Amino acid sequence: MNIVLPRIAIRNLMRQKKRTILLAGAIAFGIMIVTLINGFAGSFVRNVSENFAYLMGGHVFVSGSEYTPSGKRISVIRDDSSIMKALSTAGLTWSSLQKTSETSATLIFESKSIRQNLTGMDLAHSSMLKERLALVKGSWDNLNWPNALIISQSVANKLNVLPGDTVVAQFQTVTGQNNVGEFRVAAITVDSSFIGSIMTYAQLDYLNNLIGLGPNEYMSLGIMLSNLDEAGAFANKLYAAMKTMDLQLFDRTAKQDNGSMTPFQSMIREQNSETWTGTKYRVYTIDDVLAQARQIVVALDTASVAILIVLFAIVMIGISNTFRMAMYERIREIGTMRAVGVQRKEIRSMFLYEALFLALAGAVAGIILALIVMAVLSAIRFDPQSPVFLILKKGHFSFYLPPLRALGNILIIAALTLVAVYAPANAAAKMPPAEALRTVK
Amino acid sequence: MFSTTMLTKKYWRAAIVAAFVVILGLGVGISPVAAQDKPDPKALLAQVDTLSDFTGQDFSAVFTIVTQKPGEKDSVTQARVFRRDTKKQFLILIMLPEVNKGQGYLREDDNVWFYDPSSRKFSHSSVKENLQNTKAKNSDFTLSSFAQDYTVTSMTEGMVGKFPVWILDLKANTNEVAYDRVVLSIRKDPTMLLIRQDYSVNGRLMRTTAYPKYVQLEGKLLPSQILILDEINKGEKSQITMTEQSVSPLPDKVFTKAFLEQVSR
Repeated sequence: MNIVLPRIAIRNLMRQKKRTILLAGAIAFGIMIVTLINGFAGSFVRNVSENFAYLMGGHVFVSGSEYTPSGKRISVIRDDSSIMKALSTAGLTWSSLQKTSETSATLIFESKSIRQNLTGMDLAHSSMLKERLALVKGSWDNLNWPNALIISQSVANKLNVLPGDTVVAQFQTVTGQNNVGEFRVAAITVDSSFIGSIMTYAQLDYLNNLIGLGPNEYMSLGIMLSNLDEAGAFANKLYAAMKTMDLQLFDRTAKQDNGSMTPFQSMIREQNSETWTGTKYRVYTIDDVLAQARQIVVALDTASVAILIVLFAIVMIGISNTFRMAMYERIREIGTMRAVGVQRKEIRSMFLYEALFLALAGAVAGIILALIVMAVLSAIRFDPQSPVFLILKKGHFSFYLPPLRALGNILIIAALTLVAVYAPANAAAKMPPAEALRTVK
Repeated sequence: MFSTTMLTKKYWRAAIVAAFVVILGLGVGISPVAAQDKPDPKALLAQVDTLSDFTGQDFSAVFTIVTQKPGEKDSVTQARVFRRDTKKQFLILIMLPEVNKGQGYLREDDNVWFYDPSSRKFSHSSVKENLQNTKAKNSDFTLSSFAQDYTVTSMTEGMVGKFPVWILDLKANTNEVAYDRVVLSIRKDPTMLLIRQDYSVNGRLMRTTAYPKYVQLEGKLLPSQILILDEINKGEKSQITMTEQSVSPLPDKVFTKAFLEQVSR
């Protein structure tokens, strides 16, 4: 392999240090921006999914629905033995199961009120709650109270309540009747997020009794897995197992042509438009619920490609002009090289090597810069009340850049730079040696 | 010189005192009254329903709702209501406060949609939902159906202020009616609803509604002033005043989404 030409190319780049640094800097800046966007998009869906999985208490969910003779749709699972059997026959494994019922309630204490999402679960035995919630006041021991209530710090401040205080909750039963219940504040938790602060937890049996469900009934079964990535396959296997047991299921497989954007939306539409007898189940994952979040990633990726094109269109024009200028500066040198027997294609290759090294140096520098910026941004801790909290990982920005994506960006830059330099390189190669030697700078 | 705030406070004080007089009268006024034939309770309920029934006619009016919440400034909500009871339709168009102007509720049969002009989107609502941030529910502006929804469990005589009333204790026929138990105090002559008390499923008094003023419209008695007291969150109350009431025919397009979108602009 002829290593003379690459060495001459490197020497030429080093001869004009300022120019080389400026050109490589422009490439590095563009690559840095694109890498940051790619890295953010890469972790966006994962962070949102994990955060919502924690708030909703599962990665995969099964919810039941009944259609009443008067045309109402009631969310309820009255007997979960068939679901448990399906989980067992499908040979599935999970980290924890969470049975929940919920209603939208107004909490009232001494003329102060606040609207909350009231979720009923087995508080004393919920590992998810103890793992995820940090107590500010109260005690886990209080969760044995039959009417125990866990509220966030912001709610406690708004109502001005302390553990042991009794608050009144106003809500509707599953059939839409107004009802009232008294709850005793058992624990006050750190606000886990903007959405976490509207979540309030109560005993499942106590809440069921108030909203018109039986003691062993509930609305939704949340299944927490060891890994979010397994959710899709898990849900598909569970769906198939439930189908073989002839349970009524809302179709989770196909996106329909009824204006629904995702299969999950399609299931909801089906539920709101169909009639049936008995209980009909929905099996869905946290990713199904957040399918629209993926569209944000597509938008971010599209934006990064657009930025890449615009930035590099500008940079390539600059590189092309700079290399044309370099060609005229070195015209006598080119003439001399041609006179001593250097071939045309070798002159062209010399310029192309210069462009390639410039692009590679700029791209690598850009990726290193992007990694530094990512590290700095990841070190910043955001306020849990911040609305951006849901896209963060434990309060910090996180980035995931697929290696192939980074490599692809480098290759694109290298190819574009070669294209930009090809014309001046070709012009230099085609220059007759005698004319080049006659030229005076 | 009187300021507007002073006038409002005076007005409110008088209204609340009047409401409490009416309610206290109910509590202490149960006494022997002049012997009168006991009407059929079901027929009496049907008669109360008829008072708010505009079947065969259209109805429209402007409702002004002043809501008081402890520690908060009084809020004023004004809405124009269009009703067509024949088809179980209504349209409620919010005119005040300015920030919610153009929002609306459209009902057709049992479906209620809420329209928000800022997002230009319709979302599902319910007649059981509160109207905006007030103590009034969407159902307060619709035809009542006590006779169909409830069974009378007891009927006694009593007094509301100086008026002899029938006190009807009602139990919901199904578990899909907003309130499981309702107690009505109905003036004997002429028949008009004076007080309504709504109870939760577990028997707790949630809301007391007083109807101190009525107007006559096309031979029907309509409450022109309604006081709603929140019995759970003590101190929260709303006063509804009805004006510009009319039974003039309304165009069909009024009860459409397109109309709501058009007038909300």
